[in-house]
Amino acid sequence: MSMFGGLEISASGLTAERLRMDVTAENLANAQTTRGANGQPYRRKEVILQEAPGSFGATLSSVMGGGQNSSGGGVHVAGVVEDSTPPKRIYDPGHPDADAEGYVSMPNVDTVSEMVDLISASRAYEANVTAMQAAKQMFSRTLELLR
Amino acid sequence: MLFDVTQLALERAIEGAGKRHEALAANIANANTPGYQRLEVDFHSALASAMDRGDETPSALERLSFKPAKDQAAGVTRADGSTVDIDTEAAQLAVNALEQQAAVQVAHTRINILKAAMGVGG
Repeated sequence: MSMFGGLEISASGLTAERLRMDVTAENLANAQTTRGANGQPYRRKEVILQEAPGSFGATLSSVMGGGQNSSGGGVHVAGVVEDSTPPKRIYDPGHPDADAEGYVSMPNVDTVSEMVDLISASRAYEANVTAMQAAKQMFSRTLELLR
Repeated sequence: MLFDVTQLALERAIEGAGKRHEALAANIANANTPGYQRLEVDFHSALASAMDRGDETPSALERLSFKPAKDQAAGVTRADGSTVDIDTEAAQLAVNALEQQAAVQVAHTRINILKAAMGVGG
């Protein structure tokens, strides 16, 4: 890991949390969308996060030297997947997308839990910013030694 | 000897705090990763055991390497199996940054004392 490893790790956290916020915003925007891309009601999307492996150099040195040498590369977005829970069915015979029995399939988006996700992503983003600021201060303080 | 054991220990402490910061930053970055096990760099005890070696202390300090390890002591407190508590991590991050600042300041002062003794002014 380079000298600025701490900054890179926090930056990966910022990317991941921003993507979570984007996806949550998309879910909220489409909470009432009955015609998604494939003609079906919109399906709630979810971000899958996983621990990022370290750089090639860090992995090599941990294999050669035995034991873990770096703290890895932070967090990695493994993908954005669709929530497979069935759509909510609402009785609304006047709706153009209603089926023969008068039921409309609405997206499986729960706005309240989306809001909770949004707050959790926002707070996690702030925590990563704080970590980044601390790293910056530590680097500049160490550079003060040269004065 | 221009730089004594204390100066060497301070340098290693600054390095250790840097490594610990990386581990804590990784924990915070993975705050929402299910099943993540928090990392910890115990540079305090590594430094303490190196300082305890008597005459071999300088070479022990030179050889020190700080390795992050999965924190086995941390219990799972969350439904997703992660052992990260974001508040604890943030607090530890602040503590670690202050420790690093303390070590840097002491090292800086000691260098200034040497400078003054050499007549180049502090």
